[in-house]
Amino acid sequence: MYWNGKDIEIFTAQKEFIDTAIVPLTKLSGALDQIKQSASSAEFLMSLTAFVEQQFKGRIVMLPPLLYTAAMNQADLLEKIHEELQVAGFKYIFFMTTDHSWTSLNDLYDLLWLPSIPLESMDQKMKQAVLGDQLRQIIPILSQKWR
Amino acid sequence: MSNNRVSRRQFLNYTLTGVGGFMAAGMLMPMVRFAVDPVLAKKGGGEYVLTEKKVSDLTEKPEKVDFTYEQADAWYKSDVTDNAWVYKDGDKIIAISPVCKHLGCTVNWDGDPAHPNQFFCPCHAGRYEKNGKNIPKTPPLGPLDQFQVKEKDGFLMIGKVIPNTMVKQ
Repeated sequence: MYWNGKDIEIFTAQKEFIDTAIVPLTKLSGALDQIKQSASSAEFLMSLTAFVEQQFKGRIVMLPPLLYTAAMNQADLLEKIHEELQVAGFKYIFFMTTDHSWTSLNDLYDLLWLPSIPLESMDQKMKQAVLGDQLRQIIPILSQKWR
Repeated sequence: MSNNRVSRRQFLNYTLTGVGGFMAAGMLMPMVRFAVDPVLAKKGGGEYVLTEKKVSDLTEKPEKVDFTYEQADAWYKSDVTDNAWVYKDGDKIIAISPVCKHLGCTVNWDGDPAHPNQFFCPCHAGRYEKNGKNIPKTPPLGPLDQFQVKEKDGFLMIGKVIPNTMVKQ
């Protein structure tokens, strides 16, 4: 499911089945030497989260991505979002990112860190193969939590 | 020759009937069009999409076949890749939709080692038999949908989603 009106209606009616929230974390960097990397990572993460959503539509709510910069307090951001999602009633809350700096918070939250793969030069088939591989890395982490 | 002269009254009558007729037709035409519109509408979504799968390569074991079509969501147009689980049942080609009838996750053939030769949904452990029939005491309440299929020059074509035709409820 996505964070939209129609899907959230289903979520509120079926909370016993839809119990997992995923928040993509995308870093915004404007400096000339980082801007391409920032955009390319966001592209990768958005494609991957869309794929995860499609596979686990009936159990996961995929939230809009959180856009942050290096100057923001990362621990504080996660804490507030985590709190609010608990208010919403999610049992499992995951954060997905390609930015390594979040891994210091690994003990406090469920973080899915993946290395970013530039998709911009790939054709449709190649993209699907790459994203399929990445998805296979994520499935065991999810099912281990759900068990 | 001048006996057939049209009187002023007749002339006005003819003109009014003619103009009135055109006006009435002008009003009725769109109404009729609206009324029969469903018949005139082009049928969308009924078209078949060509896959890269050769029909001769299909076996009795369900296999994932990808197909791509264009989808428009308001202003956003995108190529969507979907897939189907396709197998042969005798001479017939069966294409099963991978969308779980519980809450819409994607099911996989042989997805759970504990239950081989079944479709498995990783979200809430829903299971289905090969023909799409949901297995009692798992969350799904109905059988998996099917796709219409066609063959063109030896390649598989996939059409629109239809309710399961093999399972009797």
